[in-house]
Amino acid sequence: MTEQGETGEAITILLVEDDAPTCWRLQDALVKAGYEVRSAGTLAEARQALGVGAPRVLLTDLRLPDGHGVELIRETRQRFPDTEIMVISALGDEESVISAITVGATGYLLKDAFPTDIATTVRDLVAGHSPISASIARFIVRRTQGVAQNSAEPPPGPALNTARLTPREIDILWGIAKGFSYAEIASHLGLSRQTVPGHIKNIYRKLEVHTRSEAVFEAVQQGLIKL
Amino acid sequence: MSETAAKAPTEAPAKPARRRLLASRLVPYLLFQALIVIATILGLRLLQPSDPEDFALGGFALREDGVTRPVTLPHFTSSRYSLADPPFYTGAFTFQSGDAASGWSVFLPRFSNAVEVAVNGVVVLDSRRDANANRPDRNTPQIAFIPASLLREGGNEITVRLFVWGPLKGFLDTVYVGPDAALRPAYETRTLLFVTLPVVFSAWQAILAVILAIMWLMRRREPVYGVLAVAMVLGVVQAFAQAPVPPATASRLAAVLLASAPIESALVVVFGVLFFGWRWPRYGTLLFVPGILVFVVGLIGGPPLPRILFLVLGIPTVGLCLFLMACVTAAAVVRRQDAASFMIGCAVTIVLVCWIQDMLTVLEIETNDRIFVSRLSYSAMLVAIGAGLTWRFARALNQVDSFAGQLVTRVREAEERLKASFAREEERARAAALANERTRLMRDLHDGLGGQLVSIVALSERGSEGATITDAARAALKDLRLVIDSMDDIGGDLMLALGSWRERATAQLRPHDIALDWRVATPQGLPLHPELRPWHVIQIVRILDEAVTNAAKHAQARHVAVTIETHDGGLGPYGVISVTDDGRGFALAGDCEAAGTGQTARGLRNMRSRAARCGAVLDLSSDASGTRVRLQLPQRFPDSDMAAG
Repeated sequence: MTEQGETGEAITILLVEDDAPTCWRLQDALVKAGYEVRSAGTLAEARQALGVGAPRVLLTDLRLPDGHGVELIRETRQRFPDTEIMVISALGDEESVISAITVGATGYLLKDAFPTDIATTVRDLVAGHSPISASIARFIVRRTQGVAQNSAEPPPGPALNTARLTPREIDILWGIAKGFSYAEIASHLGLSRQTVPGHIKNIYRKLEVHTRSEAVFEAVQQGLIKL
Repeated sequence: MSETAAKAPTEAPAKPARRRLLASRLVPYLLFQALIVIATILGLRLLQPSDPEDFALGGFALREDGVTRPVTLPHFTSSRYSLADPPFYTGAFTFQSGDAASGWSVFLPRFSNAVEVAVNGVVVLDSRRDANANRPDRNTPQIAFIPASLLREGGNEITVRLFVWGPLKGFLDTVYVGPDAALRPAYETRTLLFVTLPVVFSAWQAILAVILAIMWLMRRREPVYGVLAVAMVLGVVQAFAQAPVPPATASRLAAVLLASAPIESALVVVFGVLFFGWRWPRYGTLLFVPGILVFVVGLIGGPPLPRILFLVLGIPTVGLCLFLMACVTAAAVVRRQDAASFMIGCAVTIVLVCWIQDMLTVLEIETNDRIFVSRLSYSAMLVAIGAGLTWRFARALNQVDSFAGQLVTRVREAEERLKASFAREEERARAAALANERTRLMRDLHDGLGGQLVSIVALSERGSEGATITDAARAALKDLRLVIDSMDDIGGDLMLALGSWRERATAQLRPHDIALDWRVATPQGLPLHPELRPWHVIQIVRILDEAVTNAAKHAQARHVAVTIETHDGGLGPYGVISVTDDGRGFALAGDCEAAGTGQTARGLRNMRSRAARCGAVLDLSSDASGTRVRLQLPQRFPDSDMAAG
């Protein structure tokens, strides 16, 4: 069985992970699922691989021997806008996942996920369904509350601009944070179940800060900076 | 004078040192008072108002009791109590019409008690109409314009009838007749000194009386102000009340006026004693006896008895009071050495000197045209007392200010100390909370992760199969996630922790092909618990983990259902979380797998103790059709471990 994109070609994945056993494990799971996987152990190798051609999916760890995965994600996002980016995280902690999301990642993968789950997650991502965990959703919604309360002290953790999220998107995040399924959220909010993944993808997009100048523009729009 | 002599018999000091101190303080004061005495005497001499001697009429013929004899003014006549047939002075003066341009006047600088002046037989002045002019204690001058038609070129006759009412002798000072322009300045000077000035001082006294009365009303525990206020009111009444001219019948008012001076002076002594901080001696009341006696006699008996009594009793009482006051102030000066006592002491000395001078005048030992200065100098004492009180008031204000300043500083210091200690306390509390939290975290890690890692090590050393080690490692990872997750601030919403747990449980059950059925009764889920702490969350999630693990590992269940409900027993809402599986149940598991029994039993015990620690109630029911774990959450989570350990 070979996973194929819309063009019929095999889906290419660039896997950047410095820990060899983890790399093998993920690679095995993805190859078994029919993906074409190239792997890189360092930032330099990853850049080299990107030089050859754009992968459909980039899976990257954040702590790499010669740099930080966030740089790789940002570069990839700018050079290949069509590439889906996922961050590989040991614990799925908010710190690493959110910082990856703000530079353009649209999902995360746990290192200890079962092989079937690994393949499913990537397939969903390519299909346009960004996975989101309860703890990530919780982090985001608590951040929106912090903004609403106008607290003088910024909450700990990576900077996150939640101002562009609509109330509906925040409701969806609340539902996810409380452990409701997409179907339950859809029924609570009066949505179609199929539209929920699209909302989540939108949330990721809105949380992304594309460039420094854009960040400044956003800040001015929201009145965070006074010119 | 007598004052200096009076200071000699001071109380015998017990120690030589005290005597030296007394001497070193008293002697300079007494010397200074002697200087004041001399200055006062000199001042009285120098400040005698000068009269236009060019126009003095000295030679008069006095007809008294039917006998006519030549006299020279100033002249004393005998005391009498009848206004009939008063002493009658007849004199002559020469008028030149060349001087008529300014008009002529007759000027009487001093007389007692009343005069009726006639020029060429026509009355031009009758002082009886002016009550103030008749008071013997005032030195009121009189001037009268002589109508030009009365004046004859050359010799003119002037007659003066002197009305005297005892017990003082009658007195007629030199009479001046001359151009008005020449006489009036002398008259004005005397009016200023002996009429206007007393009025000014009396007004001052009235104001001080009001101020002191207010002070006393506001500070009842300081009667000194009240005493002085009463004294001043008496003085003001005495000054402004019109003394009736005998033989007017209003002798009662006269009695009041006569009694005022001794009572007033006694009150001043009371003031002095209280002001300088002594207790008023009980026998001190005797000081008021003469004044009251004069008053009572004045009310009962008709004139002239009260006046005689006043002369005999009242005036010596005034002198005695002044003398006592001088002693009191001298003692105060020795003891306190402050400006107030010193100033009052000087003022008392001046008044005392004036009183002695007046006495000498009354007794005709000294002749000074019979000018009485006691009343005027009494005003000097008032000035001193007013100044003394103002000084004391200002000092009290300064003390209050500095006290307030000190208080502000102290309060600020105390506040800062309090703030510092509060910050310290807060820091300590925070440190304690942190230590507590750390201890719990350590225990949680030790309970879960530590044990699992140790078992992984043991399994690897025994060369166990990969799957067993994998399970143990996954359990360890799951526990690590749980601990990290529970550290997050969930704002008291347990649903947020359960949301993450659902993901982990789903992932855990998926390899076993067990479906996790998640049923939340209401969209809100569970009630909020602001008091919810991470360690509560850990205990609850571990209980649920245990239930799910049991279902997956031992019960061989196909479905696990988690139900989240909120109940309200009337005392507030509480949450209930149930985990139900369709496995074989506990009892059955115990029968079949002997090895699993111990583990399961331990697991159950753990679940119960965890539930107890968070104040939750655990309900377990198990049979062949499945197991049901019902966890009833408390309405309020306990602050401390209910069953620590």
